[in-house]
Amino acid sequence: MGAMKLNERSVAHYALSDSPADHTGFLRTWGGPGTAPTPSGTGRRCWFVLKGNLLFSFESRESRAPLSLVVLEGCTVELAEAPVSEEFAFAICFDAPGVRPHLLAADGPAAQEAWVKALSRASFSYMRLVVRELESQLREARHSLALHRHSSWKAIGSHCKPQAPDRRSPGLENGHSPSKDCSPVDSVEERGSKLARQGLAEWQGPASLFLDRRQSPAFPETSYFSTLHNWYGQEITELRQRWLRRVWGSQPAREKQDGP
Amino acid sequence: MRYNEKELQALSRQPAELAAELGMRGPKKGSVLKRRLVKLVVNFLFYFRTDEAEPVGALLLERCRVTQEEPSGFSISFLEDPERKYHFACGSEAQCQEWMGALRRASYEFMRRSLIFYRNEIQKMTGKDPLEQFGISEEARFQLGGLKA
Repeated sequence: MGAMKLNERSVAHYALSDSPADHTGFLRTWGGPGTAPTPSGTGRRCWFVLKGNLLFSFESRESRAPLSLVVLEGCTVELAEAPVSEEFAFAICFDAPGVRPHLLAADGPAAQEAWVKALSRASFSYMRLVVRELESQLREARHSLALHRHSSWKAIGSHCKPQAPDRRSPGLENGHSPSKDCSPVDSVEERGSKLARQGLAEWQGPASLFLDRRQSPAFPETSYFSTLHNWYGQEITELRQRWLRRVWGSQPAREKQDGP
Repeated sequence: MRYNEKELQALSRQPAELAAELGMRGPKKGSVLKRRLVKLVVNFLFYFRTDEAEPVGALLLERCRVTQEEPSGFSISFLEDPERKYHFACGSEAQCQEWMGALRRASYEFMRRSLIFYRNEIQKMTGKDPLEQFGISEEARFQLGGLKA
């Protein structure tokens, strides 16, 4: 049975590179060549380096070659009952057949807690989740800012009054003709409009909520600037409220997801 | 370096970002182009013989460089040895571009940089640290200061 190939040299280079380590420290480990199949004894003290979703061990802090690698995907980290009443032990457990848990032990409760936390959040999948969430928050923030600026400029220069927040009808019914009977498009409004359209182009997800509630025929392909004016005027307060709740409100559900 | 093959084999069975049959040629001189099922899962590129369930091998994609090669092909090399290239032949230019884009984004380090960028931008715009809600704002991996070129 042929062994699976891995670009080990590159992996080792990554381990030793100066890209930031996410956690380091001494841990006792069991398993390895010449050891019993089940953990026993005090284990072997090694220097561990967590980088991204990879956990490396080294003989010492100065070693230039990793002893071992654990890929932290599809695993959970649990407090463990160590052999021989070992304290501060934890295990990396995989949901895959034939993959035994990796048993590790820290030197004290703080180190144990720090390692369990770091390892629990080490997966690529978790990082991807966080990145996507921030991506979405940034889009919302940019869009909100564009609309907010747009509405400020509108307040400065425009004759168009914002509609009452509970008004539901689309822009075309508000008594303004589609042509530009509002204040002529000057340079300030042009910038605001451009920003608003850029914001719209970037921001696809929540826009569909707008469409469902408002059924605006003008959104988002409209070239009728005054329609957009009025429509945004209605939405800004509501949007900011929702956004504030989403971004700044407490989110206990998320904490549960990344627990050990 | 010791590692558990079964861990990697299990990972190779996870849902892939991209998977396709491509031509693949190893970095050694005189290696021949072979048909392989290539599968991108998190920051690993697995390659299988087309009729086998377990991968022949895996490439960790950290610190890698993806370069276009001739028409509809690309190579992967690593920072410490840029001339040592793994070659891949795609079915079309479009497929080649798709793979190159995906591979360039497939490293943990790339995601870390993206996260730090977004965090910074959101903080500038809102005055709030978006990682606080996750309870991870103090973690080393997400600090701007820890980032090196």
